[in-house]
Amino acid sequence: MDFRINDEQRQMRETAQEFFEDREVLERARERIDGEDVVDDLWDDLSEMDYPALTVPLEHGGLGDDVLYLSLLLEEAGRVALPAPLPETLAFGAFVLDELGSDAQKEQFLPAIADGDQRLSFALYESGQESLPRDIQLAATPTDDGYRLDGTKTLVPFGEQVDTIVVAARTGSGTGMDGVSLFLVDAERVDSEPQDTLDRTRPAAKLHFDDFEIGENALLGTEGEAGPTLQKAMDRYTVATCAMTVGAASRAVEMSSDYGSQREQFDKPIGQFQAVKHRIADMWMATQAARSLTYYAAWALENDEPDAARAVSEAKLFCSEQLTQVFADDIHNHGGMGFTSEHDGHIYFKQAKAWETFLGTPTEHLDRIADSHEL
Amino acid sequence: MDFEYTEDQERFRQELREWLRENLPDGWQAGERPGTDDPEENVEFLLDWQRTLNDGGWAGLHWPEEYGGADASLLEQVIYNQETARVDAPARINAVGIDFVGPTLMELGTDEQKERFLPKIISGEELWCQGYSEPDAGSDLASLSLSAERNGDEFLLNGQKVWTSYAHVADWCFLLTRTDDSGPKHHGITVFLVDMDQEGIQTEPIHQITDETDFNEVFFDDAVAREEHIVGEIDEGWEVAMTLSAFEHSMSDVFSIEQRWRSLVEFCQEHERDGTPLAEHTHVRRELARLHTRIQAGKLTHYRNVSKQMETGVPGPEGSMDKVFNNQTEKKLENFARRLLGANNALWTDGPDDGQWVTDLLMPYGKMIAGGTKDVQRNIIAERVLGLPKDD
Repeated sequence: MDFRINDEQRQMRETAQEFFEDREVLERARERIDGEDVVDDLWDDLSEMDYPALTVPLEHGGLGDDVLYLSLLLEEAGRVALPAPLPETLAFGAFVLDELGSDAQKEQFLPAIADGDQRLSFALYESGQESLPRDIQLAATPTDDGYRLDGTKTLVPFGEQVDTIVVAARTGSGTGMDGVSLFLVDAERVDSEPQDTLDRTRPAAKLHFDDFEIGENALLGTEGEAGPTLQKAMDRYTVATCAMTVGAASRAVEMSSDYGSQREQFDKPIGQFQAVKHRIADMWMATQAARSLTYYAAWALENDEPDAARAVSEAKLFCSEQLTQVFADDIHNHGGMGFTSEHDGHIYFKQAKAWETFLGTPTEHLDRIADSHEL
Repeated sequence: MDFEYTEDQERFRQELREWLRENLPDGWQAGERPGTDDPEENVEFLLDWQRTLNDGGWAGLHWPEEYGGADASLLEQVIYNQETARVDAPARINAVGIDFVGPTLMELGTDEQKERFLPKIISGEELWCQGYSEPDAGSDLASLSLSAERNGDEFLLNGQKVWTSYAHVADWCFLLTRTDDSGPKHHGITVFLVDMDQEGIQTEPIHQITDETDFNEVFFDDAVAREEHIVGEIDEGWEVAMTLSAFEHSMSDVFSIEQRWRSLVEFCQEHERDGTPLAEHTHVRRELARLHTRIQAGKLTHYRNVSKQMETGVPGPEGSMDKVFNNQTEKKLENFARRLLGANNALWTDGPDDGQWVTDLLMPYGKMIAGGTKDVQRNIIAERVLGLPKDD
């Protein structure tokens, strides 16, 4: 057992940190908040570094790295609130393609992803209130040469900034894991409308499917049997969001520590007051704990450990319940400045709040953890 | 990054498991706990266990072989902690001697001191206590004032220590004294190894909230210490005391907390409320899940700290997090356990396990203070890790 980050991983992170700073990624996240379209340019930058190739298998022109490696990169991305669909494209899109795709589908998409020519996202939610994946209802009806999609999807991350959307639909009736299918849909063809999101660094879209025809080659894997892979993809994406949140939390701890050392009141730095000092120590501890859970979840997923699903839920639960507090504390530590849009704290706070319930509320994760212990 | 254990490490685990199965006291696995009513009997029992550990070669796990230790790696120490927690092995009564005094003497002691003291520490022949806190020197330890005045080649000790665990049964004391009070408080402290069996030393037991009396007040009235029993240099004892905390070492309560969680799960499966096992009540299931998440976070963070220590060779301020974070977990867990009891929560020795649950509830409130309060630990994290300014 060795929980150290190796030299290669450390170097990759350092490079990423420098690169994100050099390209002013956080500044571009702010531009994205102001409604500017930054994804195309940013994606070109990311491709320069081969980041979109990271977890694409070697045989399809990628770098073949694992989820843990991706998580380490996303931790750095989280520090600057990277406003690009990297978790969607890699943790979700490339993964389902690799797991379920036909040779032709892999050949069509994976090298393009690796080259930075294809961005992917996923369309899962319909009401936004339902439990996934069991409540997926959007109908996919077989036609002579493919399927017809009817229904609405909501909360599609970067829905209007990606090339291809993996749409989850039901090819059977009822609810549950059986009868769920995944389809590759060309984003340009879809009738979409942007949604104003709490975390404006990450836009979302609502998609309307009305007699929407797709070919047989849009289906990923076997009809009606995508449920288990979808669950795994959701788990990978969840770990990716945890990694970004952990990175954001370590930035929040740094911002609070710096401010605590500089800002003076009553003739001394406020970080000398234990009320402030201890709060920041607590923020650091929560961040460390969340990082440990996230690394383990990534490792467990990659190695198909029997407790992988539980590990994911534990990481997500902890990030949801404890790291949101870290961001709230950072706002608190900055006093009035903390409540301004100028201070970066709100960017991370809003992102963490938006992810708190995405792909599983804390309660759902608690139940999944309890189930895994056969309680 | 890898969470698998090597074959050698697994072999170490099996060997230890087997040894524990064969050597744990009779009835231990069935829940018998000798000496719970009689403190003296309990001390005898624990000393006996220390000797058993030593006979098996486990007492000085992290000690070098030349001093009779097992020279275990940090990971083997982790495995040892996991396995002894799993069977709730008896406490190590001479932890002060083995974890603190011994390693300090190896590093800073004279040859005579090593030869005289180390073998009897590991064998459990001599029990040690640690004379640190005083009535007016708690978190601000360096302000201690118990005086040691030279008298020929001896020193006369006068003053008082407090919260000294096992002082009433200890043979020797690792004592911090004041030899010079003219300069800054960190200067002028001297460490003596003091024979507890002498007229000038009186101990008074302190009645703790658990009803136990492990702590003591210790009064020094012209007690005698010898020059050859000074550790390190005279007046430079603060550095000696700080050396203690810098040894490569792996300690965490998280494994025993995990074991307690497992036993609570069993309790919830075996006990019902409103005709349904507790483990099937939604709020119980969710709270168990939340607690497991915290335990897992503490455990994985401990592994990360140990991994880092393997590289640097010294425990970092991360150890402070281990204490604070797991202490919070333990308090949450024990308070949850009390609520599982329903109104029976109001019972002490007539409650479950002859009152052990009450000890379990109260102990973390003591650990929150011992060896540096959680406030001191947060200061350590904030100042050494995060670079926040020290209080002036």
